[in-house]
Amino acid sequence: MCHGCKCLIGPSMLASDLSCMADEAKKVIAGGADYLHLDVMDGHFVPNITWGPPVIKHLRKHCPDIFFDCHMMVSNPEQWVQEIKDAGGDQYTFHLEAARDPAGLIEQIKAIGMRVGMALRPGTPIEDALPWVDSVDVVLVMTVEPGFGGQKFMADMMPKVAYLRAKCPEKDIEVDGGLGPATVDAAARAGANMIVAGSSVFNSEVPAKVIAALRRSVEKLGNGKSEEELTQLPS
Amino acid sequence: MARLSLLACAGVAALATVAHGFVPPVPRSYTRGRMAMAAKKDFWIAPSILSADFAKLGQEVDNVLAAGADIVHFDVMDNHYVPNLTIGPMVCKALRDHGVTAPIDVHLMVSPVDRIIPDFADAGASFITFHPEATNHIDRTLQLIKSKGCKSGLVFNPATPLSLAQHVLDKVDIILLMSVNPGFGGQSFIPETLKKLKEARKMIDESGYDIRLEVDGGVGVANIKDIAEAGADFFVAGSAILKNPRTQDAYKATIDAMRAELAKVQ
Repeated sequence: MCHGCKCLIGPSMLASDLSCMADEAKKVIAGGADYLHLDVMDGHFVPNITWGPPVIKHLRKHCPDIFFDCHMMVSNPEQWVQEIKDAGGDQYTFHLEAARDPAGLIEQIKAIGMRVGMALRPGTPIEDALPWVDSVDVVLVMTVEPGFGGQKFMADMMPKVAYLRAKCPEKDIEVDGGLGPATVDAAARAGANMIVAGSSVFNSEVPAKVIAALRRSVEKLGNGKSEEELTQLPS
Repeated sequence: MARLSLLACAGVAALATVAHGFVPPVPRSYTRGRMAMAAKKDFWIAPSILSADFAKLGQEVDNVLAAGADIVHFDVMDNHYVPNLTIGPMVCKALRDHGVTAPIDVHLMVSPVDRIIPDFADAGASFITFHPEATNHIDRTLQLIKSKGCKSGLVFNPATPLSLAQHVLDKVDIILLMSVNPGFGGQSFIPETLKKLKEARKMIDESGYDIRLEVDGGVGVANIKDIAEAGADFFVAGSAILKNPRTQDAYKATIDAMRAELAKVQ
């Protein structure tokens, strides 16, 4: 089903060279990224530790203008709202499974001035999100089990995206996990408009080409644009 | 008469050598410990990347190693053992892939610890230290670290007694004393740590084992000599070294000043 939600491409820094995150970020920003997706993992909600607010703070110094979507795979999302805001976060995406009081947390994030994202693991039914869908800015449907980059896209998550798109035609729906030129069409068709892509962008010789390919897929299959209206591929 | 004069000669000779600074023989176990310490007078300086510009980590590490640092110190925090969240194994791997060959000294402020130890070993850690409170089985966790080919160590918070190391000294390569409460950089050195360092040095020397005595928290040019004289031989320094201006020359100036202070240690 077609929708009018703008396509936004958010490269995931999880797949970047962590020894030079500033340079990697600038590379994909120059390549057309609309935002950066930052995976914060605490070793408890998921079995991996990536980075915390101190890393985000340093990245923000080097990239003052790009939107930071902070995906909080942590066991106590209520704790980090202020720190992430202070570090330069623009969107706070918490996991529904980890939130003790989702309504309270949503209010806390809004009060501090960040956009609210709500993420669901593959095993969480989309219906569980319904009580809060209207209060959040973005719903993130995970298309891999969170914890590690480079995993295979789970196409069986697409009915969740399609269900949500049908219920909420104007909601930003984000997908994360195994997205790339080979898998994005399914996500675009189902109705996702925010595409997080890690390995497919950072492992590419020309990230700008991958970013444009992802964008064209959403514009064509999600927004229903004609060939002439699509974003040009870089030469 | 001849024997008396022989004794007299020996006495004179002994006096003469005392006058030249000869140290009389001492009990065997003390000698072993002291010899081990004398051999370890190569002090190790380990900048902590907790104070680095995380967005330019490879460059920061390259600069600080070129400036004369011996080891890279990694502070890993999971917001469960300490109230902060820093970096994980992927960052360690990124530094190895970047080309860092210097030892990487991973201090795990996480709980529980066992699960993440293999991840860090596989990511290229050289030393892995942990807090005894963070595991249910200290001996087993030490063995896990060693089984993965890394040097092992125990970390003692300011209030944690050294006795927790007593029965595992044969499995410990490093004893790390925290001279601040772990969780954040930029804190001041807790003076009581000097007394604890002396106790730890005595424990290590008496054991006869080759164990490094590391200290972390508020270490800088002004206090490194006192800390070394209290018995430490491995110094973690974060904000003292890695601060603005973030240049190799600035880092070298600080490290050189630290080494100049250490050269004064008896």
